[in-house]
Amino acid sequence: MTTIDIATPSLYLDGIPHEGFTRIRETEGLVWHPYGESGFWAVTRHADVREVSRNPEVFSSAIGHTNLWDLEADALEIRRSLIDSDAPDHTRLRRLVSKVFTPKATRGWEDTVRRITTELVDGFVATGGGDWVEMLAAPLPIRVIMAILGVPDEDARYLVELTDHLVEGTGAGSSLPDDAYGNTTPTRLLPFNSPASHALYEYAERMRQLRLAEPADDLVTGLVRADIGGDRLSAAEYRNFFQLLVFAGNETTRTAIIHGGLAFAQQPDQWDALRGDPGLTGSAVEEVIRWASPILHMRRTASRDTVLAGTAIAAGDKVVMWYAAANRDPEVFDEPFRFDVTRSDNPHFAFGGGGPHFCLGAFLAKMEIQVLLEEMVGRGIRLEQRAEPVRLASNFVHGVESLQLGVMA
Amino acid sequence: MSGAVHLTVDLDRCIGIGQCEMLEPEVFRLDDEDGISRVADGATLDRARAAEVVERCPSMAISIVEDSPSG
Repeated sequence: MTTIDIATPSLYLDGIPHEGFTRIRETEGLVWHPYGESGFWAVTRHADVREVSRNPEVFSSAIGHTNLWDLEADALEIRRSLIDSDAPDHTRLRRLVSKVFTPKATRGWEDTVRRITTELVDGFVATGGGDWVEMLAAPLPIRVIMAILGVPDEDARYLVELTDHLVEGTGAGSSLPDDAYGNTTPTRLLPFNSPASHALYEYAERMRQLRLAEPADDLVTGLVRADIGGDRLSAAEYRNFFQLLVFAGNETTRTAIIHGGLAFAQQPDQWDALRGDPGLTGSAVEEVIRWASPILHMRRTASRDTVLAGTAIAAGDKVVMWYAAANRDPEVFDEPFRFDVTRSDNPHFAFGGGGPHFCLGAFLAKMEIQVLLEEMVGRGIRLEQRAEPVRLASNFVHGVESLQLGVMA
Repeated sequence: MSGAVHLTVDLDRCIGIGQCEMLEPEVFRLDDEDGISRVADGATLDRARAAEVVERCPSMAISIVEDSPSG
């Protein structure tokens, strides 16, 4: 077999290795990709990702880990969240937290999203541009999730710092000493093996105590009081969920906004199309999300022997859904490597492959991007690329550390 | 064949994501108490649209009622 590498994090410093993904997608059956002492099945076609995602009994989230590397049983258990669960545990947890993330709840946050977006866009315009990541893409989602959770604005920077450390854990490794933030837990027992998770846990617990003592109109209050027929989140479930929210609600939407800004700067015809017809905002939001594919993959583990794409898979094998590749599948997307805000049929898998682990924050993420596009179009400005983006060495998040963009009238 | 069909939600499978309510707010409504989707009384959808909604339910909880009187 020819050697194709899609897993080495440093490859992603030059962007997603699309050539490798295309070769895998065009190979009949599934490709076994070496990883560590063994390997994984690389699932890259849209139809195959969908099949894995919609058969959670066969392709488990609860066995091994949902990242490429395995966790020992005790480590998996202590950090288990919604993402690493199967039915019936997943069903129970998801129902409890879905209640605070419904389309209706999301609409109730629009004013908050618009207030924060307006402030950030005005700041970016006032300086004539700057680092799109630091000035806009990073603070927007973190401030929104903080406002919704009920965390004060002044703590946002601290929480961004913590989630940045979590992303390091998926790449070259943590830059923090194990005892950072007063951590005493062995890091192998912490999410992303990072002592920053310890700090997030502590922060979450302080918020929980505050809201138990004095309820407020926010998400933490909703979570600590969520009750379905007497069933509630345990303290551990709550803190793992808080950690998940701060990470997923921040890194992912941030990444979508980064790549959206870059795409519009590089393809001004697409920005002109959107400015000329604001009715395209909905399809532009979906295209930004497909184009960005913020989470590059999720892993499942075969719970029994099975067959996928004509390839025999053994119980225990790692099966990795590469959303970034499925979102460029020419079987589904016409001219998949073209950024096209008019794309009307856009069944992308940036929120997952269509199964029960569908992104909880999908409606919120879409609203944030929509409001951002509306506010930028409303100001009659355009973006201009000033430097190459500085990308992250991660095969998990399609991350960018900095991106210099200018603002033009 | 096209035509209007009724839909049903499997209450044991639904996990309250809300994709159906987002797609067809007149037909689906998440219950305020248990957070699970319900079909409005007598609501129907065109068969092609119904098939799309079924396809896009992440928990695979929606199905077309095949003996729909109007379908």
